[in-house]
Amino acid sequence: MALKHVNAIIVGAGAGGGIVAKELAEAGLRVVLLERGKWYTPFDCRKDDLRNQRTTVLGNAFGPDDERSPRVLVDAQGHPSVVRASQGGYQNNAACVGGGTFSYGAMAWRFMEKDFRMRSTYGPVPGSTLEDWPIRYQDLEPYYEKAEWEIGVSGDDSGNPFKAPRRKPLPMPPLPPNREYQILLPAAQRLGLHPFDIPMLRNSVPYNGRPACMRCRWCVGFACEVDAKCGTHNTVIPKALATGNCELRTEAVAKEILSDEHGRVTGVAYFNAEGRLEQQTADLVIVSCAAIESARLLLNSPSRLFPHGLGNRYDWVGRNLQGHTYSGAYGLFDFDVYDDVGPGAGIAVSDYNHGNPGLAGGGVLCNEFIRLPYQFVTAIPPSVPRWGKAHKDFMRKWYRRSMAVQGPTQEMPVFDSRVQVDPAVRDYWGIPVARLSGDKHPHTMEIANAMTGKAEQWLREAGAIQTWKKLPGRGLSGGQHQAGTCRMGDDPKTSVVDKLCRVHDVENLYVIDGSVHVTNGGFNPVLTIMAIAYYASANLVKTWRRGRV
Amino acid sequence: MRSRNLRRRKFLTLGATAAVAGHTISCSGSKSRWRFLTLDEAATLDAMCEQIIPGDQDPGAHRAGVVNFIDLQLTGFCKALRPSYRRGLAGVDQASRGMFGSRFVELAGAKQAAVLEAMETGQAPGEAWKDLPSKVFFSLVVSQTMQGFYGDPRHGGNREAVSWRMLRIPNPPVRGRLHYDLTQKG
Amino acid sequence: MKRAAFVAGLLVLALLLMIPGASLYYESGSGEACARCHEIRGSFENWQASTHRSVPCKGCHGDALTLDAEFHMTNLRRVSTHLRGDVPEQVRIRERDALRMLERCRNCHRQEFADWQAGPHGISYDRIFLDKEHNRKQLLMDDCLRCHGAWFEGSIRDLVTPIDSRGPWRLRDAGRRTLPVMPCMACHQMHRRGQPLARPPATLLPPGPNQELHRPSLALYDRRERTFVSTAALPMPAMREGPRRVKMSPDARQGICYQCHAPLASFQVNSGDDRTAIGVHEGLSCLACHLRHGQQTRASCATCHPRLSNCGLDVEKMDTTFKDKNSKHNIHFVKCADCHTKGVPKRRTPQAGAPVATRPLPATPPRAARKLPFAPASP
Repeated sequence: MALKHVNAIIVGAGAGGGIVAKELAEAGLRVVLLERGKWYTPFDCRKDDLRNQRTTVLGNAFGPDDERSPRVLVDAQGHPSVVRASQGGYQNNAACVGGGTFSYGAMAWRFMEKDFRMRSTYGPVPGSTLEDWPIRYQDLEPYYEKAEWEIGVSGDDSGNPFKAPRRKPLPMPPLPPNREYQILLPAAQRLGLHPFDIPMLRNSVPYNGRPACMRCRWCVGFACEVDAKCGTHNTVIPKALATGNCELRTEAVAKEILSDEHGRVTGVAYFNAEGRLEQQTADLVIVSCAAIESARLLLNSPSRLFPHGLGNRYDWVGRNLQGHTYSGAYGLFDFDVYDDVGPGAGIAVSDYNHGNPGLAGGGVLCNEFIRLPYQFVTAIPPSVPRWGKAHKDFMRKWYRRSMAVQGPTQEMPVFDSRVQVDPAVRDYWGIPVARLSGDKHPHTMEIANAMTGKAEQWLREAGAIQTWKKLPGRGLSGGQHQAGTCRMGDDPKTSVVDKLCRVHDVENLYVIDGSVHVTNGGFNPVLTIMAIAYYASANLVKTWRRGRV
Repeated sequence: MRSRNLRRRKFLTLGATAAVAGHTISCSGSKSRWRFLTLDEAATLDAMCEQIIPGDQDPGAHRAGVVNFIDLQLTGFCKALRPSYRRGLAGVDQASRGMFGSRFVELAGAKQAAVLEAMETGQAPGEAWKDLPSKVFFSLVVSQTMQGFYGDPRHGGNREAVSWRMLRIPNPPVRGRLHYDLTQKG
Repeated sequence: MKRAAFVAGLLVLALLLMIPGASLYYESGSGEACARCHEIRGSFENWQASTHRSVPCKGCHGDALTLDAEFHMTNLRRVSTHLRGDVPEQVRIRERDALRMLERCRNCHRQEFADWQAGPHGISYDRIFLDKEHNRKQLLMDDCLRCHGAWFEGSIRDLVTPIDSRGPWRLRDAGRRTLPVMPCMACHQMHRRGQPLARPPATLLPPGPNQELHRPSLALYDRRERTFVSTAALPMPAMREGPRRVKMSPDARQGICYQCHAPLASFQVNSGDDRTAIGVHEGLSCLACHLRHGQQTRASCATCHPRLSNCGLDVEKMDTTFKDKNSKHNIHFVKCADCHTKGVPKRRTPQAGAPVATRPLPATPPRAARKLPFAPASP
């Protein structure tokens, strides 16, 4: 039985797709929102420190599962291997309603003006496809604001002189400082830095009808038991459904985007929760599956005009896969710095995002989310053995006396860090899986290494009696912050979507998620993904009303 | 249609269950009290884990039930690691025989540590390490021992949250609610 | 066709015979047989060393000769699971089991049961989750179930609908209305170590500083872990009043109270649901005044103030929330200065400054007189 034709299909109910669904549904379009995962509740979370969305030694708590969704990872020597969803190389984010926003740490950064103008600011970087965005910060500013107020952000960046100008303050005050914050604040000030409260998509006071954070230690990687963490699953998606115009289909795995002879897309073929192949037709298709899966879906959808995948005429789909290179430092103190007050992260400095001599960028530095005991096991100085009595003594003595400062280094995009579809390996549904290859740009590593020194300096000033660096590996970057695979640009030869997120040459196909990021900022990217979703939806609705799709 | 099929399948399963239920009783006579490990393997692993996290003023891996954790996970999420444990634990005894002439569990503490150090550096003797480098197996056991000791008690290790008590982590933490009133203001 | 029917008939017969068979198997070994398959070894050993060790398995877990079909089906499912080799990570008791225990607990602990049932902790699902005043002000959420409905197997949206501030609210399963949100097993574990059937004399004493400080059965049922945490292991918060550290009673049983009557992360007295005593009652345990099962506090004042208060007034009639809920002097936080705004006068009692605990207790404690003698569990 054919499914009823709708105006728009959105594939992926994460940070981007959830917002697009709400905006289109409120504008009166009939929308189908497809999500490959389930709609979880805190009951599914259970605060399990070996099985969540960051520590996955016993599996991913919020998808995908290990059995059905493999990927192929090509290592530095060119050897491909099949990776399971809970393994590190998989570069997983999540597969559930809300996507990553269901279990994230929820830092809510606006990128800085320079983050949209990296090429103009730093010039070309050899070996990198570093480029300016076709839009500027000013184009997104109203939508950053909308995201902050509709989804809900707490924090206070008034003490950050480096931030891009904002018209309105954040809707909620920051959470009261924990002990780490209180120790790091005066230290940063003594160093002449400009510390401030991290903006977070987390209620610090009752907001949007949901309560404030109760400050437990299970935050990043976990569902929030009091629903104080704000994601698309508890804000815009319920609103979209409440309009009556949006239908959410969970456990619906998109196989390919269908297109006609004229180069227009006509709908999506997907496997429903029972595993049956369905075809949903629509006037518009919006791909919001996050950088790896969005690229995979386009590549898995060849058509007469695009024999190598939709939007892939010039072989740019799947290119420039980037995430964030986390680097920083650990410090030991001769007094307790742990106070069991979550989420842990609270204070940041943005002094090192730009303007580092000899470096094309930088990143924000923050104190770290609470490290659960098993996560602390490997957070040891190089001099401590990783097993035996000495290791146990270290754990016992320092667990409550250690602190970490780290941050996401803005990466230099690399053309050969990429997503392809594997010629041989297929998933449970028979769909070719994503094949990931490439590594980080050497300059990314130089910047990340420089940041470790800054972090150590801050910790030492705060009174750390011993510090050591947390150095990143060279391997491919993606993970929760994955971006860049469907670059936004004016030139169809060097990008995949235009500045309104429409795929070049396919007038009714959009990609709206982190894939369109040209560069990924020195910040957690989710608020930018949300802002782009609001921005692109607003333009999409305008175009729709003019009858131009 | 579908549901009838399902029902029939369920019925057949139950029938088959009944037919072989007698077998259950005999299984209670099986030799090992573990799910996957044999008694010897469990003893070797237990000694190994206790070297990795020794007991002192606070319980070590043995009292925290780390072997129980590993054994349990080998029947569940970590099923794929079964061959590694089977081969690796045999390898530990080969290495220990090669180095000191007796089984791992029979060695004194310092000698056990020496065997593990040899494994860690990939210099342990033994046939088993041809397919499974001793380094790789040792790393596996170290990380699973850490999981079983510092992880959540619900998975069969960290008995009575001994490691959390050692680290002075309140469990469950005392956390109340901020009461609010939606009728007052947004 | 005939042959198929014959085979099917045989199967049905085998099935029918196996029903009591499986149950008998579980029962025959008086626990040892079950525990041999190792999944319940820990529970079995704890039970053997517990106060309830002379209560046979079937006393709580059901009798093989019962006609309860569900009971037999459960056992059969266990066998089937076992044979498939698809052993669950942990064997857990379910809400069904915890609720069934109510009846069994009552059989022996009649007085405690009646006290609990009449007291605030015996409250039912409808009264907690369909409270209009609450639901209009605050949204229901999963964390409610941490204390109210710790045994409920599901999310808040499986329990109540709608989850909003407009209502009207109803329980998805109307049959749940009268079930207690805090059954015995919210605060007591059965399989635990302890002296067999010994009843400490302290329970016959009135509540107060002289009573026992720990009972092995007291344990929090932790909903997330789906296991019990003994009070001995529960954390005690370091409470503060402003920057000042509050003097806390060493009574470890309070660990269980604090799990639900909990302060906010700031650990300030009276924040969140906290009721830590400060002021004139600082340092007293919750259980110094609140009787265990019913939480009654009437006449508890007499434990320490047998005649009159330190200032010569009848404590039960002073202006506090003890007398009148609407009083602005909360009995948990009241300080001398709240009433004596111009300074606290000198004590009128002859032994001014003598610690309260040295006062003689009344010859016949009022609570003990009302208490029924303990009925032993089994001969």
